[in-house]
Amino acid sequence: MLAVAGLQVSYGSIAALRGVSLSVGSGEVVSVIGPNGAGKSTLMAAITGGVTPRGGSVVFEGTSLLSLGPKRIVQRGISLVPEGRRIFSSLTVHENLKVGASTRTDRAAIAADIERMLGHFPALRERLDRPAGRLSGGEQQQLAIARALLARPRLLLLDEPSLGLAPLVVDLVYRILARLRSEGITILLVEQNVHRALAVSDRTYVLRTGSIEMQGTSAELLQAPRFEEAYFGFAGMKRGDRGASPT
Amino acid sequence: MTILLQGVLDAVSIGGLFALMALGIGLIFGIMRLINFAHGELITIGGYAMVVLADAPPLATAILTLLFVILLALVMERLAFRPLRQASLPTLLIASFAVSYLLQNVLLLIFGGNTKGVNFLPSLSQPIEFSGLRITYLQTVIIVVTIVLLVAVTLFLKRTRFGIQMRAAAEDFRMAQLVGIGATAVAVTAFATSGFLASVVSLLYITQIGVILPQTGLQPALFGFVATVLGGLGSLLGAAVGGFVIGCLAVVLQIVLPLELRLFRDAFLFAILFAVLLIRPQGFIVVRWARERV
Repeated sequence: MLAVAGLQVSYGSIAALRGVSLSVGSGEVVSVIGPNGAGKSTLMAAITGGVTPRGGSVVFEGTSLLSLGPKRIVQRGISLVPEGRRIFSSLTVHENLKVGASTRTDRAAIAADIERMLGHFPALRERLDRPAGRLSGGEQQQLAIARALLARPRLLLLDEPSLGLAPLVVDLVYRILARLRSEGITILLVEQNVHRALAVSDRTYVLRTGSIEMQGTSAELLQAPRFEEAYFGFAGMKRGDRGASPT
Repeated sequence: MTILLQGVLDAVSIGGLFALMALGIGLIFGIMRLINFAHGELITIGGYAMVVLADAPPLATAILTLLFVILLALVMERLAFRPLRQASLPTLLIASFAVSYLLQNVLLLIFGGNTKGVNFLPSLSQPIEFSGLRITYLQTVIIVVTIVLLVAVTLFLKRTRFGIQMRAAAEDFRMAQLVGIGATAVAVTAFATSGFLASVVSLLYITQIGVILPQTGLQPALFGFVATVLGGLGSLLGAAVGGFVIGCLAVVLQIVLPLELRLFRDAFLFAILFAVLLIRPQGFIVVRWARERV
């Protein structure tokens, strides 16, 4: 469904992605994990048209996304739940949901979809006409997900959905992801929270300093001896007796 | 009591013009993060359009002036600001200065530096008197038009699908793009609306002062900028409120200042505004700034 190959992105002379390749199949949940500064958000930006790559390709259902621009990428069926949620805080909850359907013109279906979202996220219904900035962090995350879903994406991208949320709220967010998955939405998830990501996804890529270090199914990765090494950049972070850096 | 009421009437009519001015400037700033100094030239050029169209029927003059100024605002967006959409704030600011001076000099080239009289609908300047209050027809028109336009712009931004998208873009332009709002459509609508507001100010303001020079638009634009800052940069409600406050201050100063100091009214006005901004630098209404992140 989505194929990223040899993707390179630089900010000035600093390389953020150095030839990243990954694929997401229809109906799959794929996660990209990696520490801060690994290039996860840059990867999301490159897929959604936020940055122009220096090299490589991003192909969605046979069409290159590279010169499309954000609006047409949304129209093709990719929505992003960005890092830090970025809901429109001066707009009401209802207006945020309407804005999520900006690429659509089927008014009746939009209203029905909003109603369906409010069924999924009852907390939002209670606060429908309040400014979204007054919502709690967890409610804002639900709003950000609902807003992204209103574009009727076939591929949903989530950038650090658990960041800054209390553990109970993270549970809720991941229950929502599990449900979306059962509804057949394909998900590409970027996370620092390794165990959450592995638990929800079919396959996982480990991204570090702009390159994919490892990949595999969740079970494979958890058993792989190099996993911690790939993730943290040096082995035995907790043991401390094998501190040499492999890369 | 009569003096007070008279003051309120004058304040509302002057403040209304500043509010419309500030709204036009604030709309572009809120959405594009562009402080458009060339907004004043839209006013000036509207005035010259009225000079050129002096012999046409008044309705035709008004409509053609409106259309011409809106068109000019759109051309400005297309030629000067669209290529700079990714540019930094200082670059945009300097570009708007360049557009402003360019237009002033083009006007100087075409019309010369002498004052031209504008005699649009002279009957509007006649005063109406009732129970000791004096108000001209033009002031009445200004008050009514201001109220209608403020309500219309508010309804547009609050109630229509496109208005909600514009507010979303004003808060976080990049995120607005990520939900699929077209950047160009938003920019074009913002400039068209701003141009429309400028053209209305132009018709009312130039009719009121009755003369036009290539620099005429500078002063109202300056008041408009101060009003947007006073109201809280980025807030449209703030811009309108700021405009009214400046209008009220101007009228109050006109009444309380001794005769020999009235010439320097604007100096007092700006001193007060300066003091207000020292106490409340964020303006009346605080807007959380959109995050800029790569």
